[in-house]
Amino acid sequence: MTFDRVPVVEAALDAYLETAPEAAPASAPRALDEPVTPGRSLTVGAARALFEDQVTSRAIDVTARELKKTDRSYYTISSAGHENDAVLGALLRIDDPAFLHYRSGGFMISRARQLPGTTPAFDALLGIVASSQDPIAQGRHKVWGSRPLWVPPQTSTIASHLPKAMGTAFSLARARRLGVATQLPPDAIVMCSFGDASANHASALSAINTARYAVRIGLPMPILFVCEDNDTGISVPTPEGWIADTFGNQGHLRYCLADGDLDEIWEVAAEAIRFVRHARQPAFLHLRTVRLWGHAGSDAEHAYRSQAEIAANEARDPLLRNARRLVETGAASPVELRALVRDTRRRVLEAGEEATRRPRLETTAEVVAPMAPYHPDRVALRAATPPPTAEGRRAAFGESLPEEQANPNARTLAGNLNAALADELARRPEMILFGEDVARKGGVYNVTNGLQRRFGAGRVFDTLLDETSILGIAQGAAHLGLLPVPEIQYLAYIHNALDQVRGEAASLQFFSSGQFRNPMVIRVPGLAYQRGFGGHFHNDNSVGALRDIPGLVLAVPSRGDDAARMLRGAIAMAAEDGRVVVFLEPIALYHEKDLHADGDGGWLFGYPPPPDHLLPGQVGVYEADDEADLLLVSYANGLRLSLRAARRLRDEHDIRARVIDLRWLNPLPFEAIRTHAARAGGVLVVDECRSTGGGVADAIVADLAEAGIGPRPASVRAVDSFVPLGPATAAVLVGEDQIVAAALLAAGERTAR
Amino acid sequence: MNRPPRAVVVCPGRGAYTSASLGSLPADHPIVRRAEDHRAALGLEPLLALDGAERFDPARHLRPANASPLIFLATLLDVEEAARDHELVGVIGNSLGWYTALTVAGALSFDDGFRLVQQMALLQEQPIAGDGPGGQVIYPLTDAGWQPDERLTASVADALLDGGEGQVFESIDLGAYAVLAGDEPGVQGLLRRLPPVKVGDRLYPLRLALHGPYHTPLVAPVASAAAEQLRDLAWRRPAITLVDGRGGRWTPWSSEPAALRDYTLGGQVVTPYRFASSLRVALRELAPDLLVLPGPGNSMGGICAAGVVMEGYHGIRSRADFDEAQRAVPVILSMRREG
Repeated sequence: MTFDRVPVVEAALDAYLETAPEAAPASAPRALDEPVTPGRSLTVGAARALFEDQVTSRAIDVTARELKKTDRSYYTISSAGHENDAVLGALLRIDDPAFLHYRSGGFMISRARQLPGTTPAFDALLGIVASSQDPIAQGRHKVWGSRPLWVPPQTSTIASHLPKAMGTAFSLARARRLGVATQLPPDAIVMCSFGDASANHASALSAINTARYAVRIGLPMPILFVCEDNDTGISVPTPEGWIADTFGNQGHLRYCLADGDLDEIWEVAAEAIRFVRHARQPAFLHLRTVRLWGHAGSDAEHAYRSQAEIAANEARDPLLRNARRLVETGAASPVELRALVRDTRRRVLEAGEEATRRPRLETTAEVVAPMAPYHPDRVALRAATPPPTAEGRRAAFGESLPEEQANPNARTLAGNLNAALADELARRPEMILFGEDVARKGGVYNVTNGLQRRFGAGRVFDTLLDETSILGIAQGAAHLGLLPVPEIQYLAYIHNALDQVRGEAASLQFFSSGQFRNPMVIRVPGLAYQRGFGGHFHNDNSVGALRDIPGLVLAVPSRGDDAARMLRGAIAMAAEDGRVVVFLEPIALYHEKDLHADGDGGWLFGYPPPPDHLLPGQVGVYEADDEADLLLVSYANGLRLSLRAARRLRDEHDIRARVIDLRWLNPLPFEAIRTHAARAGGVLVVDECRSTGGGVADAIVADLAEAGIGPRPASVRAVDSFVPLGPATAAVLVGEDQIVAAALLAAGERTAR
Repeated sequence: MNRPPRAVVVCPGRGAYTSASLGSLPADHPIVRRAEDHRAALGLEPLLALDGAERFDPARHLRPANASPLIFLATLLDVEEAARDHELVGVIGNSLGWYTALTVAGALSFDDGFRLVQQMALLQEQPIAGDGPGGQVIYPLTDAGWQPDERLTASVADALLDGGEGQVFESIDLGAYAVLAGDEPGVQGLLRRLPPVKVGDRLYPLRLALHGPYHTPLVAPVASAAAEQLRDLAWRRPAITLVDGRGGRWTPWSSEPAALRDYTLGGQVVTPYRFASSLRVALRELAPDLLVLPGPGNSMGGICAAGVVMEGYHGIRSRADFDEAQRAVPVILSMRREG
């Protein structure tokens, strides 16, 4: 048996079309608007169009493999055997957002038919050869996506696009209610597709669960989940009946099985779409497919499947079956289909050759251009617009504004965040705020207290306890033009859903060349040092995984006035440049009042009214004395500890320390650090996070060392451990004494040199 | 065995027939004779008399009812010849060229295609409502090297935004040129407001002689009259893929003749004709070896060459690339070389 099964499958279709009996010469061709089979809605014309699109999709797969033989294509995961999803491309509208998995060639070709001027085959080929002319990813990946066809791109290998598809469905009615121009009609629905093996991913189950949950609490959830079931996950067979068993009997989820001939599949798919469109409830369309030619071009299917199994699978080729259906119903003649197949194969192959002549990305600048756009001037302008109005603020805050209250300069970080969120909600009608316990309870730490009461449940709402879905809702809402500010209740919980940030939200501009964006500010209470409340899950100090995400902005305020200004900067970056920002709030400082001594009120600050804001690179500087002996570089809890240590260094050791607050951990303010380090006698980085794993200290020390700036830098860091319960925390976290000791060494370094 | 080159046919618009085109028609060709029968039935001057005239008379030869069928016939005759040694994989056209393309592709029989062309031309001679005839103005969008010039694009955008006392519309997007249209005050305004620019030895903006404000709402009465007068045309599935003035593809296997009729007699008449889009779609999706330019005149040569350069087709990214390619393996074949 030959290993290259492409010609075998192609030949089987050809053989059928060669040998199929022609219609009797006397019989007239069937009218295009009559149904293929009596009583069904698929017309002869639509069936012929579908078949043409399916053959086109197949030809793209064949061309990808053909070009691979001469190393001119870079992607051979194909849609072969899945082409009946073209039915959905034809039945859904191009203003029904579609989040597709990677075997969606048929869908894309047939959807593009709705928009004259599109070039779907050539576009796909440009993606396969990684050309910078690929209209969606510009050669950064082969993705199915299109701005005019409302298909946001994703790699979709682990069903990580389902939560945002659900989030888009969740947000449709809300965006409309809030007056945000979505450009979508009121009856738009969302579609997402995935494979049978992918249906097992936590992200898939999470999205489906949240969709059902929405129905249960009375929210509209117009989403069509399409499981393209080819019985296999790479080499692992899906147990027979697994998809139907798992999804066939779930409450609040209409299950529809699409199997059989083209007209039967059309009927079921049309009904599923009708249901979702009218009921505004989710449906699960179980579309039976076949996977031809292995998982990808490199996948040696014969290693895990018998020849008989492979041949049996090929016999179920939907193109073969559809050709037979068209011929047997008289919807098309074999001679017509032969010409169609011949012509399509040829033109797609030639288009593939042409695609290889198109330019590719070459420079680093070209590759990263859309990843992390940043226009400081425009962001600053955005932070100031729309200008806060006195009436708007009075309406949001009632009688007295935060800066007018009894002790205007004695406000906590939590209090200022609450006020800043209220100010932003008041002047940005597209902003929404949500998460676990944020609405009615006002947050575990009261940071969002009263916001739902003031701004309504349309804009401030509680979600179910699922971080993946919270971030999915954020992405979906952002796709529609809302400005989401989701909360992940604790830093440790974001790791539960981190791929939603890493693989999806942060990559969207990169893979869509900036054509799709999902601006958001993810508020995350975190870090350690909570007195009397402990354990790792509430005191997580791991930020490496966030700092490692390309393009992600990580903000970490340490005090109340900064927090308000940084939040405005973060929101402006999201709104203007579409950035994804994680706003990490140090829980232990939320309600901290004092700095050096109990009752000194040294950690209470005033409320800077909008539009005052801070942006990355703008560090906080304490004890700004040109003659400092030592530079302490820190953030968050570490900043407060550093300031305490600096006081002791001055009082007890006559050492003058300047302290800078990084404020932003991604991107790090290297320029400011270098400037201060160059003038310091010693440099100590105080990093409260784990000592390894992409921490801040590593990056700063390395930068100063490589640049040869200032004295040899030193650092103190938390122990590389989970944070324990109770007083044992002191054994792993950075403490004040430790800072003082290290500072003395670092200051001594100057004299030693 | 060498396969014949795969060609996309580009049918020219009504500006194609010039003094150099005289003598295009073979008197004994069957389709010429059929055309003359139709002309006689309509009481119109014989095409052979026009084509055989001693000298070119703009008022006579450029009259829509005369120019359109002359170009139609000459184009079909050339396509017949081109089909001998090319595989025709697609047909596109510019404006009137769309009607010709329908016949080339077999969506209409010769007789019905002729009726469509002749009838539309007669309808286009009807005055539009308002003050004066209105018309079309052509303006370049690229420099002499066929590279897009943003200043020219901006001038066109400005002109469209400010119609002055008249109405102005986008009419045809040729890629290298914009064709704008308007009622008479609109056209006068365009001629005044578009900054003069010289490309080659031609000065723009240039009013197209005896052209009406085609592909705009001003000719909506033409669309309704055409739908009425041409309702008995027998529309068929094309035998060759057509790409229309929106960049929409009509293949032999999935096209609905009724939809083709509705587009041709409806939207096509009153919305901008995006020739540049049809060319781009044809190049990308049909991936021909070359473009074949039939018919009189050389009105499409530069436009198609610029389209090839702007698309970077076959790696051709400049005028120099294009000239070099033409010397080696031509990407554009003009069936005639006239003045």
